[in-house]
Amino acid sequence: METYTYVNIFETKGLEYLLLICFLVLFIFFVRYLNAADKPS
Amino acid sequence: MDRRNFLKTAGVACAAATGARSARAQEHDTDPEEFVGVLVDTTRCIGCRSCEIGCALAHNLPVPDVQDDGALEAVRTTSETSWTVVNRFETDSGEVFVKKQCMHCWQPACTAACLTNAMAKTARGPVTWDGDKCMGCRFCMVSCPFDIPKFEYDEWNPRIQKCNLCNERLERGEKPACVASCPTDALMFGTKRELMEIARTRIYAHPERYVHQIYGEFEAGGTGWLYLSAVPFEQIGFRTDLGVTPYPEYTRDFLYAVPVVFFGMPALLYGLNLLAARTEAVRGAPNGAEHVPSPENPSTSE
Amino acid sequence: MAEASTGVSGGRLRFILSEMKPRGRWLTPFNVISIPVIIVGLVILWFRFTQGLGSVTNLSQAFPWGFWIGFDVVTGVAFAGGAYVITFVVYVMKEEKYRPIVRVTVLNGFLAYLFYAGALVLDLGRPWHIVNPIIGNSFGYNSVLFLVAWHFLLYMIAEAIEFSPAVAEWLGARKARRLLHAMTLAAVIFGITLSMLHQSGLGALFLLAKAKIHPLWYTEFIPILFFVSSIFAGLSMIIFEGTISEKVLKEYLGDKAGGHDNLVFGLAKGAAIAMFVYYFFKLLVFLHEGHWSELDTPWGWWFLVEVLGLVLLPCILYAFGARHRSLGIIKVAAVLTLIGIVVNRLNISVIAFNWQAPVHYIPSWQEIVVTLMIIFLEIWVFRWVVTRMPVYPGTNNRPAPAIDSD
Repeated sequence: METYTYVNIFETKGLEYLLLICFLVLFIFFVRYLNAADKPS
Repeated sequence: MDRRNFLKTAGVACAAATGARSARAQEHDTDPEEFVGVLVDTTRCIGCRSCEIGCALAHNLPVPDVQDDGALEAVRTTSETSWTVVNRFETDSGEVFVKKQCMHCWQPACTAACLTNAMAKTARGPVTWDGDKCMGCRFCMVSCPFDIPKFEYDEWNPRIQKCNLCNERLERGEKPACVASCPTDALMFGTKRELMEIARTRIYAHPERYVHQIYGEFEAGGTGWLYLSAVPFEQIGFRTDLGVTPYPEYTRDFLYAVPVVFFGMPALLYGLNLLAARTEAVRGAPNGAEHVPSPENPSTSE
Repeated sequence: MAEASTGVSGGRLRFILSEMKPRGRWLTPFNVISIPVIIVGLVILWFRFTQGLGSVTNLSQAFPWGFWIGFDVVTGVAFAGGAYVITFVVYVMKEEKYRPIVRVTVLNGFLAYLFYAGALVLDLGRPWHIVNPIIGNSFGYNSVLFLVAWHFLLYMIAEAIEFSPAVAEWLGARKARRLLHAMTLAAVIFGITLSMLHQSGLGALFLLAKAKIHPLWYTEFIPILFFVSSIFAGLSMIIFEGTISEKVLKEYLGDKAGGHDNLVFGLAKGAAIAMFVYYFFKLLVFLHEGHWSELDTPWGWWFLVEVLGLVLLPCILYAFGARHRSLGIIKVAAVLTLIGIVVNRLNISVIAFNWQAPVHYIPSWQEIVVTLMIIFLEIWVFRWVVTRMPVYPGTNNRPAPAIDSD
């Protein structure tokens, strides 16, 4: 039974933090891309 | 284990081993605050379906024809006209009969789901339904991990139908109808504490006869009905993936967050509004004027 | 005109009665389609209330909630999310740019709640008990549905207050208008808070269905996902609805309903950012739950369609459309987003619900006709209101008996 073995509920935290960093970097680019439209073309 | 508990367990073990009824488990003057339940020993069930008849008679439901074994061909679920059903499973160790009905969870999902308290857990343990309160939203059916509440779809004034552990009989000091009509002691009524002792004792006394698990001890936070089996529970129609968390726990955090959001958000929004007003004043925009700024206006941030 | 208080009430009643009369052409394509649907829908409802839900729906013991809940209520409320987003921008953040669309958006939101959340009544087995959780004889405050029900009620009141200045102007009630106008900010702040909670609350309903929803969709984050997606669902609905009314209401509105291109680019930008965040939320949940093996199953493919095809793709289209000022691309993005919301809400409430059941629920034609009936009724009321009350800026629908411009 799984209750008698060790379960690490934080197994995926490393991946999640990597995703977070990707998000922040991409978000900067994304917002820059979007706001470029503010300058009248 | 202290001596008193040991003696009690040993005494129950002897009683169980000799097949005698446990006097303690059949007592009805139990503490009304202590939940009651039923222990089902599937190794003792012979599939006579007397419990189905007893249940139907006690609740004015259509009485099933138990002579007709065709009903056992397919696995049945409870329905709006039968609060309990007995199913037959072909397993590695032969035919096994399993009774199915409301599990009377310790912390039921259905009562946490019910917005009118029509579904309620009584102090004694039965989960009951009150037609004067129910508005028929069927959220109890959505939430029940055992798929027990059933709805009368063909009635203009539909009811939710499910086992109520014979709450009205318990109040009169009687046993549930199914337990009373069981000829083989496959069903045993008592408080969960006593039933757990009996169930464990049977497993200890006959480790080769049972799988070493009592279904309902922890499932979905623990249930009033407990099951003993000779074969793994997933082979006889039980879900073993429900986890041990009581279902109301799943919405606890959300419901907790509601007042928190209500404390914080209005103040935050009002603060933002003041800031926006100030920005506007600094910029010298006409106050409250319903004008549309030119599209080239820079937005509030840079 | 001088005062609208004493001798006007009779005149006002006559005015309201005259306003009730239909206007414009009768044989429009919309009328030709909607009137028969509404009639058939009413007949279906008669059967539903006399012979039970089973007589017209495909609901079953394994699928207690179907199309009426999954689409009408859960999806309809998400689509109505635009009202709280726009009122936040205009009344709280004082971004005047979006003021021209405030009234129409709030009206849309209010009617959506009235009709789509109201459709809940059709689905209730014992609707005459609907007052039970409201009047206090049986408060089930342990229930998320209790919270959602109350929030629906309170939010409809808040939105009615937000919209009421338009009604007051229509009736020429100046004093009432001033009073109602003063209540707007409070109603807005209250309404946004309520929206946050019941948009997420609709998702929190399904937290209790852990045993039944496919693992790719079940997560403890469902409430947050529902809230975030209601932001871009609402924005997309504003864009979509604006496109339609611009065409359909031309004879009433002239060019007044159009000419908001700049607004649309702003809305598209907002939707793009909300969807970008939502997409990463979805990724995070997927990583956390780690159901990699489920991806290469039919359910996994369906999940990918939803997340990649109906979230990521419209997100990119929105960004592209906003950057390159292309209304066409933005409209495509809006439609894709709306489809994505329908798919997501139906997945959680109906499609991936009880996914292991041998016979899956498919809505009956009666359920779909009744849903169409509700949508058409809402459009009828919407059309009636916008052609009479000052909903769009600059339109002078009517000379009111005693109004002052202010």
